[in-house]
Amino acid sequence: MIFEKRTERIFLAIFFLIALCIPLFLEDNSFFVGKSTTILILAVFVMSLDFLVGRVGLVTLGHALFYGLGGYLFILITPEYEAVNFWIYAFYVLGISALISLVIGAVVLRTSGIYFIMITLAISQMGYYFFFDSLEFGGGDGLFIFMKPETSIFGLNFLNLDNPTHFYYLALLAVLITLLVIKIILRSRFGRIVEASRLNPERTEALGYNIFAFRLISYVIGSTLATYAGLLFALQYGYVNPQFMTWEMSGTALVMSILGGMGTIYGAILGTITYEGLLYLFEHMSEDWMLFMGSAIILMVLLLRKGLAGYLEKLLEK
Amino acid sequence: MSRITFLASAVLATTLTAGLSSSALAAAGDPVKIGLMLPFSGIYAQLGEAGRDGLKLALKENASELHGSPVEFIELDTEAKPSRAPELASSMLNQHKADFVIGPVHSGVAMGMIKMLRGKDTIMIIPNAGSAAATGPLCSPNVFRTSFSSWQPSYPMGKVALEKGYKKVYAISWNYGMGRESLDAFKESFTAGGGEIIEEVLLPFPSTNFQSHVSAIADKNPDAVFTFFAGGGAIKFVKDYDAMGLRGKIPLLGSGFLTEGTLQAQGDAAEGVVTGLHYAEELDVPKNREFREAFNTEYGHYPDIYAVQGYDAGQAIANTINQLNGDISDKQAVIATMEKLTIDSPRGKFTFSKAHNPIQNIYLREVKDGVNVVQSIAAEALEDPARGCKL
Amino acid sequence: MSTELFFVQLINGVQYGLLLFLIASGLTLVFGVMGILNLAHGSMYMVGAYLVWYFVAVTGSFTAAAILSAVIALGLGILIERLLIQRLYNRNHLDQVLLTIGMIFVFNSLQSILWGNDPYGVSVPGALSGSVPFTDNSSYPVFRIFAAGICIAIAAALYFVVSKTRLGMLIRAGESNREMVEALGVNIKSLYTIVFAIGVMLAAISGIIAAPMRSIVPGMGESVLITCFVVVVIGGMGSIKGAFVGALLVGVISTFAAVLMPTMSNMIIYIFMILVLLVKPQGLFAK
Repeated sequence: MIFEKRTERIFLAIFFLIALCIPLFLEDNSFFVGKSTTILILAVFVMSLDFLVGRVGLVTLGHALFYGLGGYLFILITPEYEAVNFWIYAFYVLGISALISLVIGAVVLRTSGIYFIMITLAISQMGYYFFFDSLEFGGGDGLFIFMKPETSIFGLNFLNLDNPTHFYYLALLAVLITLLVIKIILRSRFGRIVEASRLNPERTEALGYNIFAFRLISYVIGSTLATYAGLLFALQYGYVNPQFMTWEMSGTALVMSILGGMGTIYGAILGTITYEGLLYLFEHMSEDWMLFMGSAIILMVLLLRKGLAGYLEKLLEK
Repeated sequence: MSRITFLASAVLATTLTAGLSSSALAAAGDPVKIGLMLPFSGIYAQLGEAGRDGLKLALKENASELHGSPVEFIELDTEAKPSRAPELASSMLNQHKADFVIGPVHSGVAMGMIKMLRGKDTIMIIPNAGSAAATGPLCSPNVFRTSFSSWQPSYPMGKVALEKGYKKVYAISWNYGMGRESLDAFKESFTAGGGEIIEEVLLPFPSTNFQSHVSAIADKNPDAVFTFFAGGGAIKFVKDYDAMGLRGKIPLLGSGFLTEGTLQAQGDAAEGVVTGLHYAEELDVPKNREFREAFNTEYGHYPDIYAVQGYDAGQAIANTINQLNGDISDKQAVIATMEKLTIDSPRGKFTFSKAHNPIQNIYLREVKDGVNVVQSIAAEALEDPARGCKL
Repeated sequence: MSTELFFVQLINGVQYGLLLFLIASGLTLVFGVMGILNLAHGSMYMVGAYLVWYFVAVTGSFTAAAILSAVIALGLGILIERLLIQRLYNRNHLDQVLLTIGMIFVFNSLQSILWGNDPYGVSVPGALSGSVPFTDNSSYPVFRIFAAGICIAIAAALYFVVSKTRLGMLIRAGESNREMVEALGVNIKSLYTIVFAIGVMLAAISGIIAAPMRSIVPGMGESVLITCFVVVVIGGMGSIKGAFVGALLVGVISTFAAVLMPTMSNMIIYIFMILVLLVKPQGLFAK
């Protein structure tokens, strides 16, 4: 089975149980439903990063480029005042993004280590500057998405994206799908070779595998998942801004993933919830919330050697 | 100055009892909820703090106008990050049910806020962000601005340059909304009168690598330089300009933010810089003198334009509540009332245009002995053309 | 572009590059010797600038303020290394990233609490406030010449220490083989503390030197951080010579790019870095 660790199964069971019920209790309060939705969307983004960094071994600080592209690509290919079909256009957006990540990956995967980090950072910053400096794409002020897409499949329309609760479930579905996709890939032969190439590249190459190709495909998969998260994020409030693709955004996702437990994938969900939860708590507590946030992060790094997931596993695994 | 948010416990209580929605009518005696969406950390923090201080002072001074309703502040730090804007605005609107949302400083955040709040059951008052779109194509009945539009401070400077006999001007700013719009506004009036912009340079925002540009200016030798920079960038540009010996040789003109809140850091380097703004600290208006002293008494330092704009937002709220005898439950009535207000501002009295932007004087100022001295009124009752606004 | 303007911009670029070297030197030293990726390096630069501003306001003397600030920074470096960094030697790079990001938050918050968020300036110290006539229309500030001189002096001092002294020998040995150095009886813990503290002090000194030429605002640390990394990566992580060459290249290229194609100038540096990495994936002077 794909969820091998007991901790993982327990956590995910509790998580999905609570997540399914949240809108039922908070129906009236669209802010909290919205906030939970954003956290779910971020979790997808962080899981895709965790896959790349923790499992494939590609530490990228440019992941937010694809996150930002989700919204911008959507705006680029859809007519301004028409409600297009969500599934079809999501497919197009993901397709274009996959192509872009293929090209970028083919170039950047020639480097490794700190150089890979810097080159991915440089590319995402260039993407940021491109959209920030452009007048056609809204520049630093960003752009609106005026019409939310409709979600009919073969004429059956069951999700209305203007309804916060429906959007929430769409985001939750995205979390589930991302989780399953990543886990299945990791369990497959492809996934095992990819992990082998992270643990011992020379030996894997010696066995005859073209690890460049394996890494490239993984990079495309990870980036495309990030684009899907970004698309949802843009559609949620109908707003895109170049700031969504800065290195700070990539860095925040990296923090959430390390905090949760690098490489565990389910840890990414845990890390996102914890980070956002702490942020919310501290922001409402004091104007000097940054001091508390920074101290909390430092404490967690020093005390939790393998992140929150690692700590839970220590408690729950026999 | 207290660092702990006033009524933080009230906010915490509200969040812990999530799911409560009340549709009670807000009558006199019910708290007036004012949400502040401003940056309290990061590079714009000073502007956020000044706006908040001004706002709170206005509400304190005009407490009697509130007809007994206590004021409840909800403060959220935007960090000037556009990605958080719609979510925080949703918090103000849906979670806290704020009657008024004051913010933001940054134009990108303004766009995100407007997406969430326009047409909704709350009044948004912008105490700083000057982006043209807010009172242009995206104008909305429930969005007001007590600051300026990017066009206003720079447009009259074109005429000023012509009057001073400058024919060839070098224009430089950052490549973003406010920078481009400021240079465009200057260009509009300057070229209409026969002036020539010999070079227009847009630097990536927020680069402060001015050294090479100052050298290029010296080489090009224009009659004058027109610029928009603000905050740290303004400080550095003016200092670099002076350090390279251009001060006094090539006149420096600018949109007023070049010398606003920056004079102490700029020191002698700012002497002689000529700017246009809808305010000046030594403005000879009785309300200004009163306000400056009251602000200093309350906070221990003198205010700048950002505080004035926040103060006027507070006055707008207080005056509206007063005219409605404390009943702000009908947002349409609130809008109708606010639209007709004349704000007795430290910058001089102003009214709102149809697009809800201030119709205000633009003062010509020159820095003398570390102070922006008002030379004249560069433009009287200047109304932003609000291109694209359908109000 | 006239020849005269060309030389003017070249000098501007070199001066900017020298300052970049000073900022980047601490980062590459710490990474090269200890393998620590210190993302809070920009915060140290900020601390230097704020400290010198504060002490100039208190003492009225730039020299006194500079010395005081440098000493405090050294102490701060020792404190941080002993309390926090030491615990990370056996952990992976990502944990260092996370810890130092947490430190950025803490330092930014402390800056706001201690000194407030208003923008500040430091006036050029009286003795150095003159200008030398430069072109017909402009003059070159003496302080910038002085700053360039300091950067060169520190570069020379670093070179001397690293290649000609025993400490430098230990640093070079520690870079290539930590266990061996330990086995030879050298107290590697103290060595690391010294190196880290020097790295922090170098960053702070660059903040001190830059203070009269910049504005002192919140977030000033993050804005130099990226350029710093670009310089170090171009030069080769851990190589001080590389950082020097990389800094000069970045300084000159960004200066010319700023005047020749201003709107694209921020991208040029990244493009240059990518090109260098494609040809030499470990930087120009990789170890």
